[in-house]
Amino acid sequence: MSTTTVEYFFSFRSPYSYLSGPRAFALPERYDVEIVFRGVTPMAMRGQSVPMSKRLHTLRDTKREADRLGMSFGRIHDPIGEGAVRCLRLSEHAKDMGRVEQFVLTASRAIWAEGVEVASDAGMRSVCERAGLDWAGCAAALQDESLQARVDANTQRLLDLGHWGVPVFALGDELFWGQDRIEDLERRLRPRAAQSGAVAGGPPPSERCS
Amino acid sequence: MNLRDRIERRLVPRTIVALSTIDGPRRLQAALHRLRGGRGTVELFVAFDDAYSAIALVGLADRLASRPVDLVVQPVVERGIPGDPAVAAKRRYAVTDAARLAQRDGHELSRTEVVPVQEAAFLARWTAAAPDERSRTAFAVAAMRRLWFEQPSGAVEPDAYADLWRRIVGGDPPPADADVVTSERRMERRKLYDTPVAVVAGQWFFAHERLPQIAHRLDDLGWRAAA
Repeated sequence: MSTTTVEYFFSFRSPYSYLSGPRAFALPERYDVEIVFRGVTPMAMRGQSVPMSKRLHTLRDTKREADRLGMSFGRIHDPIGEGAVRCLRLSEHAKDMGRVEQFVLTASRAIWAEGVEVASDAGMRSVCERAGLDWAGCAAALQDESLQARVDANTQRLLDLGHWGVPVFALGDELFWGQDRIEDLERRLRPRAAQSGAVAGGPPPSERCS
Repeated sequence: MNLRDRIERRLVPRTIVALSTIDGPRRLQAALHRLRGGRGTVELFVAFDDAYSAIALVGLADRLASRPVDLVVQPVVERGIPGDPAVAAKRRYAVTDAARLAQRDGHELSRTEVVPVQEAAFLARWTAAAPDERSRTAFAVAAMRRLWFEQPSGAVEPDAYADLWRRIVGGDPPPADADVVTSERRMERRKLYDTPVAVVAGQWFFAHERLPQIAHRLDDLGWRAAA
């Protein structure tokens, strides 16, 4: 049983979240850590405006970073609105099914590199099935308001921590914002991984994944 | 999916990404400039109250020292996204995060508190008033090192920086009302919305977190470090 938890705040509408996914979910392979995935509502759907200059820079910079990381990027279908909501609800369902890593990685790649319209049933079904989820169960989960309540709680948790963007990694009280801060997070994990019995706090085991 | 959705959700972002990969003209321009013996340029927009700017300026000064590249400092005071509700939280977080970024280069940030924008504004104005690019950059780097890597948290007083000005630029420091509007307008025209931004042959980077990528960009353009 791992002793350290890292809360991982993620938005399906954030290309930097997409870039962070493979490395974030791989952390437990090298460190004594549990990743607690928390999908949050996109900033633009929380009433925060994102200026065009920032949107342009984000896309250009993500392309450079994706190339550096060897990740596909560019065949985009922006999921803002219904697509993002569906992904968030299904990420909570995937947690319950023990498939959250598979779902998050597959869905975010579909959005940012494969041009899949996740707001459509056809698009989402292909994502779910590739992630090893049963479509009938997913279709039912999309109507489950309790899953939306969990997404809202995740979003509120990020705000309560005093943060605004994604991806964010919370290790106890320390926050790491950005796909390019995973290396800084790892510096904190090394000594913790060497200790036994050190508990960093965090959510109850039922919310944990990995 | 209607036509508007198709354009906004697919065509526009894909086109932006595709256009960003077109770099041939910039590379050709750089190659011709090098053939004529020209040096490369990294233009860096910084704010002295910004811990990230300290990471960027000092980090770039160190990395460019062995390259045939000029670091052109553009000091600003006003910047950021108008009406950004998270600006105070971002400034607090930046100090904590910059301390971790400094550790990557083996440095330690000496301050742990936010520096008020106007308190450090005189350093931007002094930098802007330097008579040439060489002294402007040298003063900015020295002042940023002192501000963020040597002095502990506390008030930023002009007296603590006057000796740097006298040693690097010469004479007494300029009046504190020297303007930084030229740099701020230049930043605004280019749609650069926050510091520290480095512009390298048409591409721009948030420099504090892209130092290796900037070095890689310069390598690509042929402005490599001396062996």
